[in-house]
Amino acid sequence: MKIPVALMLLAASTATWAVTPGQLAEAYASEAATQSPGFRPSARRGAELYARRFAVSDKMPACSACHTDSPVQEGRHAVTGKAIKPLAPRAGAARFSDPAKVEKWFRRNCTEVLGRECSAAEKADFIAFVSEAK
Amino acid sequence: MKKILVWDLPVRLGHWLMVGGFALAWATGDSEKWRLVHVFAGSTVMAVAAYRLLWGVVGSRTARFAEFVRGPGQAVAYLKSLLQARPPHYAGHNPAAGLAIVLLLGLALASGASGWLTYQEIGGEWLEEIHEFLTGTMLGVVGVHLLGVLVGSLAHRENLVLAMITGRKLGEPEEAIRGQRFLAALTLLAWTAAAAWWLAR
Repeated sequence: MKIPVALMLLAASTATWAVTPGQLAEAYASEAATQSPGFRPSARRGAELYARRFAVSDKMPACSACHTDSPVQEGRHAVTGKAIKPLAPRAGAARFSDPAKVEKWFRRNCTEVLGRECSAAEKADFIAFVSEAK
Repeated sequence: MKKILVWDLPVRLGHWLMVGGFALAWATGDSEKWRLVHVFAGSTVMAVAAYRLLWGVVGSRTARFAEFVRGPGQAVAYLKSLLQARPPHYAGHNPAAGLAIVLLLGLALASGASGWLTYQEIGGEWLEEIHEFLTGTMLGVVGVHLLGVLVGSLAHRENLVLAMITGRKLGEPEEAIRGQRFLAALTLLAWTAAAAWWLAR
């Protein structure tokens, strides 16, 4: 079932409504498809985004700076040194199941690492990557 | 009336430490790169607020809660008198300012505690939500406080921001406090540095 991101956020703000990472990726993908028709999420593009180094933050140049080279591994905060639970849903944590939380962290971390917000296409690719990561 | 000392050094120093700490914490709240700065700034605000509670009991006369904390009724009455452009003059805090101080101290402690517990990963995401709500509310009260300072300054033709820097306001000589309380100000600095360092570890 395809659920628009806006609708998910609305639901998330009024009640605790868990979604699956797949549903979330689908929602971002359909949002991205309005800009580029025929868009499909790509785990390969997501992996590239995850590893790409941006010349924005010297302490946090890439997603992998804190989340390590593999999203199934436990991460480590590049500044505080605190442990970060693995990003991959299969690693056990309730990752990518709360749309509001996902939006919040995409907004904060993309702004800091990429120097801009991520597009719906990038978010869809990213979730496709971490969902498939082994 | 003439210029007399009404705010001692711990009150003024504490006030500006809270201003700096809150501004810095607000500016760095969404950033992971500045996470340690955020925690240290928030801890500073919390440490100063805790010291202020003690100073509100044992401090100079104008710093004591018993001297300026009035009910909401008196705060509203004071605000009404401001609107009618004939507000009574207080050498110390007026009743509306007293209410703002109580709210800001309470919010500083609650917001600091919820933020610290979140940082230590005690308590879950709900606590993070509460932290964000409390800091947002605190920013709102800061806004009202600033508006009150502006209106009060105009109504009494007295620069209240300058008064929080120099400690001097218009008043009767017998309303003046006795001294700056240098030792207590040093204690505040030492306590804040130690507490903020311990909290931000």
